[in-house]
Amino acid sequence: MNKTIILAKSHFKKNKGTTIGLLCLMLIAVMLLSASLLLIFDAYPLATREANRLDSGSGRVRIYNNLTDIDDEFIDELLADECVRYDIQDCLCYNALPVPFGNGKTTVALVIDDKSAFEKEMGRTEVVTEDAGIVSDYIYLPYQFYTSGGYDIGDTYTFDLLDRTYSLTVKGFTTTPYYGCNNVGGFEVIVDDDTYAELYDIDGADYACYCVVYELKDGVKNSKFEISLNDKVIARNARAIVSPMSIEFTNEQRTFMSKIIAVSFLVVTFVIFLVVFLMLTNCITNYIKENMKTLGALKAIGYTSSNIRSSLLVLFCSCALIGALIGIVLSYVIMPYIASFAIAQMGIPYTVTFNIGTTLVSLAAIVLFTCIVTSLAVIKVKKIEPIVALREGTESHNFKKNRFALNKTPLNLDFGLAMKTMCFNMKQNVITFFVIGIIMFLCTIALLMYYNFNKKPKLEILTFEICSGVVAVDPDTADDLEAYLESRDDLTNVRQIIDTWFTYNGEDSLKVYICDDTSKLKNQDVCYDGRMPLYDNEIAVSGRFASDYGYEIGDEIPMTYGDDTYTYLITGLIQTTNEAGRQAVMNFDGAEHLMDFEYIPGYYWFDCDDSETTKTVIDDCSEEFGDHIVSTMNFDEILEGSMTTFKGLAAMMLVFICVISAALILLILYLLIKAFIFSKRKDYGIYKAIGYTSNSLILQTALSFMPSIIVSTVVFSVVSYFVANPYMNLIMMFFGIVKSNFIIPIPGLVAIALGVIVISFIFALFEARKIKNIEAYNMLLAE
Amino acid sequence: MKNIIETNKLCKTFSNGGVQQHVLKNLDLQIKEGDFTVIMGPSGAGKSTLLYALSGMDKPTLGQVIFSGVDITKMNSDKLAVFRRTNCGFVFQQTYLVDTMSVMDNVLSAGLLVNKNKAEVTKKAEAILKSVDISEEKWGKFPTQISGGEAQRVGIARALINKPELVFADEPTGALNSKTGKDVLDALTKFNRDGQSIVMVTHDITSARRGNRILYVKDGEIAGELDLGAYVTGDKDRHQKLRDFLGGMGW
Repeated sequence: MNKTIILAKSHFKKNKGTTIGLLCLMLIAVMLLSASLLLIFDAYPLATREANRLDSGSGRVRIYNNLTDIDDEFIDELLADECVRYDIQDCLCYNALPVPFGNGKTTVALVIDDKSAFEKEMGRTEVVTEDAGIVSDYIYLPYQFYTSGGYDIGDTYTFDLLDRTYSLTVKGFTTTPYYGCNNVGGFEVIVDDDTYAELYDIDGADYACYCVVYELKDGVKNSKFEISLNDKVIARNARAIVSPMSIEFTNEQRTFMSKIIAVSFLVVTFVIFLVVFLMLTNCITNYIKENMKTLGALKAIGYTSSNIRSSLLVLFCSCALIGALIGIVLSYVIMPYIASFAIAQMGIPYTVTFNIGTTLVSLAAIVLFTCIVTSLAVIKVKKIEPIVALREGTESHNFKKNRFALNKTPLNLDFGLAMKTMCFNMKQNVITFFVIGIIMFLCTIALLMYYNFNKKPKLEILTFEICSGVVAVDPDTADDLEAYLESRDDLTNVRQIIDTWFTYNGEDSLKVYICDDTSKLKNQDVCYDGRMPLYDNEIAVSGRFASDYGYEIGDEIPMTYGDDTYTYLITGLIQTTNEAGRQAVMNFDGAEHLMDFEYIPGYYWFDCDDSETTKTVIDDCSEEFGDHIVSTMNFDEILEGSMTTFKGLAAMMLVFICVISAALILLILYLLIKAFIFSKRKDYGIYKAIGYTSNSLILQTALSFMPSIIVSTVVFSVVSYFVANPYMNLIMMFFGIVKSNFIIPIPGLVAIALGVIVISFIFALFEARKIKNIEAYNMLLAE
Repeated sequence: MKNIIETNKLCKTFSNGGVQQHVLKNLDLQIKEGDFTVIMGPSGAGKSTLLYALSGMDKPTLGQVIFSGVDITKMNSDKLAVFRRTNCGFVFQQTYLVDTMSVMDNVLSAGLLVNKNKAEVTKKAEAILKSVDISEEKWGKFPTQISGGEAQRVGIARALINKPELVFADEPTGALNSKTGKDVLDALTKFNRDGQSIVMVTHDITSARRGNRILYVKDGEIAGELDLGAYVTGDKDRHQKLRDFLGGMGW
């Protein structure tokens, strides 16, 4: 053992720079692995932990719109048989209300309550932070307004309720399991008693709401309970609206973003492990090649192959261990920053705590990985014969052809010599090619995420259909509105889409989008398999729902609305990240088997060139149809608010991956160029002796790396362009998206490729400047 | 004859683990134009150190090296490199050709540094390679594919491609057998007769006979100097004269 450590120390002394370079690479890999694991096992379950802490029960239901004949006693009756316990809260609820959030507005169900909300026994609401000095005209906002909404205590929060505007001072931020995140479609705000009383006086009749949190008895299925609850409430008052949501679904929606971050980090980590694998193998092979004489001498004086192999194993595993320890510490340093993006969407306060499990896994992963790679790479030590090694091994150059002959090449001297050097270093070229290629792929994914989540948000993957605006009118005016919209030149693609809930076999529900013509849908990618329904007996259901109940395209499925049931033919599968994968689409003819549209408002969706035009159209419609208007929505306007957190995440990922890529290029070129200069020290001595300047040699060295870097960036730009979408589809499948068709902007890709080439060249020049420090005479003596 | 090099109190000290070793001590010498100067001396006397200090390959600790009227000890390494490419040619014991370049490219890699006209330099390289008896079929071969003697002659061709003021040869026959060594010495002698100034370090009397001026270095100082006159083939007295001189120096 002593012998092994002495040898390992000697290897380290001879290869300080390389070992430290590898250590840095391992450090980055472990830092990312540890951060990914912390995200998956610590930050990601945060929503569940918080829900349990706040006693979320099994789910919540909101009953609103019209509460005639619905009172506490009736609700007790509804819940008594199937619930262990429950909590009923009176409040105000404004459904589908655009509220200021982030850089714009987001449309949510706004639940307004007074301070009695803090006394809930289930689904509690707690203050995260507050200013007790603010005593009047105040509002408590969900914590997400702080993490990604752009608000702080003391700010003024101004929002519109119907035609009234309220401005209240932000007193504090709250955490609550069901209404703390715009992804779950609801915000609970708590206002001072006077404001609440005023609101209740004005809106109490139309917007009073029961918010019920319940815990089901064992064996009761939530989806079935929700359907039966809805049926019972509607039977009592057909104008009441029941909006249920299970805690599983709430948490699923709430952790959407942290899941994306965790998966993205894991992917980056995997890629970096690939790079570490390549570099580790390369460094060990180089070490053996460069130290052939020493290894031969060691064998000649009696060291066994296993002594030498063990010493290399000890060296690189110690390096991995030290790198891992520093990496883990750094992961805890960067974790608050990374987690801030995960919790931005969750809206839950999070403090990073030490996690022994993720720490041990990260540590074990890199040490085992290094151990295996090193063990495989040092096998060749066994084959070294002392006498051969002492003669410096075998010649590895291929002398078949004198490429770039200086008297024939059109290149100038520096370029010509660089190309000659490049031709004789195929191994270096292959490693550079693959490593730069991997980095290029990583950058393409970051670009894709940035472009499709930030620059031009691809909302299709987050919602069923996209448009510029929606105008809804009462049923009698629907035809007039349609004709009016069709007559305008400043909008296109007018289509009627309404959504409602159908039930399946009394045990599950689906949100069904009913369209006048499915071919008018802008988001045709939503149907990823089969086709959209065309005839009255057809339906397309979400892939997740079909999979849960064993349906395939071509099967028949019964759908129920009220007391009627009709059996439809499944023509296609649709993708969705919403409603826990419970969505479907059909046309009006199909829906008429179950619904009577005579009393249902007409919702018209349309597309405009810009937000201003959309606003003009909506204003004109309001003027034209006055009281007939049921609701309007400027999609472009609410886009900014809804996408704030996604945009932040995408920008963060781009910056993060660019920084990691630059660090990787720097480290890899350091390792490759260091090894290269060492192996070519004699040649550099000769060149310097015959009159080459250091700058000329630095340029030659940097240039010799460029062909493989340029070819790699070009090849992998093309490969990434075609592979990134299938690859992202693979990742997006975790989120219920099968067909994403993300856009990869070619100018952006070209800019990244050029950036990689320029950065690589600058780094190569930077790394090669070591040549300056070496005197020709010393280099010749080094022989 | 004018002096190509003049040194002024040239010192070179190596420090190893705190122990200082004075390899060159206040050395004053001149290298004259057209001379074939041979530096001899016992092992560790400082012969190679002197050669590399004179050529600007290594920096002296103290003193001056005035090369063609320019104090090269004041130059930084890049300026020295540029100075060397036009003023110095080197022939090393180990040949030090670049393994990954063909014979022709090894010569051109030096020639193209000074003259960018490829056709002109190629023509010149071909002529020099022919003059050192490297046949055309060898020009495209790599150093490891030709014999040691041939490689050394390619080294001479590379050293001469830019018509330097002075060629420095460090034990050019040290790694060769007597036949190939003779070919190399013949080549050097031929170029010297054509006016090329040469400084050669050797410990081989046969090689040293080719010089017209012998400097004997001992303990970092010039211990003695012998003027042998121009080399004439088959001059037996010359050999004896050299032996006597070296004997007197304690060789």
